[in-house]
Amino acid sequence: MWVKLVLLLLFCLMIVGAIHFAEPRESEERSPSVEVISLRLLTWNIGYAELEDDTRAHDKDLPAVAELILRVDPDAVALQELTGNAQLNMLLGLLKGRYRGAVAQQGKGDRFEAVLVKDAGAKFIPVPVGARYALGASFQSRGDTHEVLLLSAHTDAFNAAQRRMYTESLIDWAQARTQSSEVFIAGDFNFELKAANETNLYTDNVKHDSESYSHILRYFRDLGRSAGDTAINDRRIDYIFGPARLKQIGRVEVLRDAAVGRMDHWPLLVEVGL
Amino acid sequence: MDMLALLKLELEKLFRAKSFYLSFVVLSAFVALMLWGFYTYAARKTGGQAVEQFKYTYESKQYFNGLTFALYSVLFSFTLLLPIFVSMSAGSQIASEARSGTLRMICTRPISRASLILSKFLVSAFHAGLLLTFFIVLNLVVGLIFVGWGNLELYPGPLNLVDAPGKIMRDEALMRFAYAVLSGTWALLVIVSLALLCSVVFDSPAQAVVMTIAVYLALYIVGRVEFFEQLRPYFFTTDMDFWRDVFKPNIPWQSLWHYACVCGAYTIGLLLTTLIIFERKDIVT
Repeated sequence: MWVKLVLLLLFCLMIVGAIHFAEPRESEERSPSVEVISLRLLTWNIGYAELEDDTRAHDKDLPAVAELILRVDPDAVALQELTGNAQLNMLLGLLKGRYRGAVAQQGKGDRFEAVLVKDAGAKFIPVPVGARYALGASFQSRGDTHEVLLLSAHTDAFNAAQRRMYTESLIDWAQARTQSSEVFIAGDFNFELKAANETNLYTDNVKHDSESYSHILRYFRDLGRSAGDTAINDRRIDYIFGPARLKQIGRVEVLRDAAVGRMDHWPLLVEVGL
Repeated sequence: MDMLALLKLELEKLFRAKSFYLSFVVLSAFVALMLWGFYTYAARKTGGQAVEQFKYTYESKQYFNGLTFALYSVLFSFTLLLPIFVSMSAGSQIASEARSGTLRMICTRPISRASLILSKFLVSAFHAGLLLTFFIVLNLVVGLIFVGWGNLELYPGPLNLVDAPGKIMRDEALMRFAYAVLSGTWALLVIVSLALLCSVVFDSPAQAVVMTIAVYLALYIVGRVEFFEQLRPYFFTTDMDFWRDVFKPNIPWQSLWHYACVCGAYTIGLLLTTLIIFERKDIVT
């Protein structure tokens, strides 16, 4: 009988231990708020999921996109999967003239990256990355304290090797500008870094994405890591990378109630003190 | 008969079993296979004709060293290879005695059934620990001799260990392998308990071993299917994965203790169930 009692006691002890060492719930570990916010950035791929006929952004969703931007009030927004200039102009109209914006040059694909900036003096810069184009916007942070460069990027959804080449070109371009500006890179990188989703642990696809992500982290910091998944099917594929040395990181949040229609991504919001 | 004498007897039985030596032979063969694969891959990817596809990470020369080799070998084999041998050892403990007709005779001796189950469990746990220790030491020695030593570099993605690039210095990495012996053995004890339970329930050792492996594999596979994502946290195979956390640059101690306790609860809960069933079992063979 005593053996059973000892085992029962040990069993209870293990249960108590498991409860005691359980991770705190998400709500208990909120990031501290920034006292002085220099910059609030948002990235959002507003396109649709793969199964739709047209996976680019839909005009009917733009009022909801504009409503979110006006509510969150970011200094700059990186958007992906717009159909072109007409859609950008429609969005700028819905934003009541509070933002200026541009779309990237057309590369190989049928969709465009865009950047919206509040600063009226912002300059938009095309960024050639292989056969595609990303888009940069150079502007002043709040209080005109820092020159900021925000890049909106979108890597290939289906080919990890293409993603790596795109990332390398983009980082080379961005890294050369870190002396003159505070560089932020935002967008949909499509990195599949959860090896558990692969049939084995060492595929070339996982290695390509791992190398791409590791390469970015050699020079930049992943600001949205703590916010979790940014797209359906538990995927964290939208990122905002920033300078390694930031004074403070404040609110970092994936706005999961923002998607409308058949969007498969949620916007990622990051606040930083420069 | 006291517990120590019982343990000694059970150990003697373990050392006399051919399957005990077979498990070490197969693990050694696996290390040889891994060495061949790793060595040729490293030579092909970093030699004169290398394409250097993954030049920042997996194909830089400092990445290929004995510690990386040992890490890959241990992580690849832990999920499927070690549980098979542990199930074979623990699953045959009671069932093989029942099959050969010796269980009834043992139970007529002045020993409690609880002592018998405990001694069988401890011997199986010892086998699991010995297997893992042997495997890790063999990998490190082979890695040192044939690949050479360096620091342990970790990248997000493959192996699913870290979410940012990290590095563990050589001496610290060796310490982490020692931790892995403890955490890995603790995780394997869940399989030991399950196999012992099957060994009591089924009178055929083959049935007990197959049932243990079937349950383990079924949960492992189902846990990987996206449809059952909501069920995943309730599978012991998910909790057993905690042992790998000792290889993270900063060990998440809180999470590690949490999952160690969960695995402990599974192990002791199954052992208690085994004991209750065995004490009420009518032994007719």
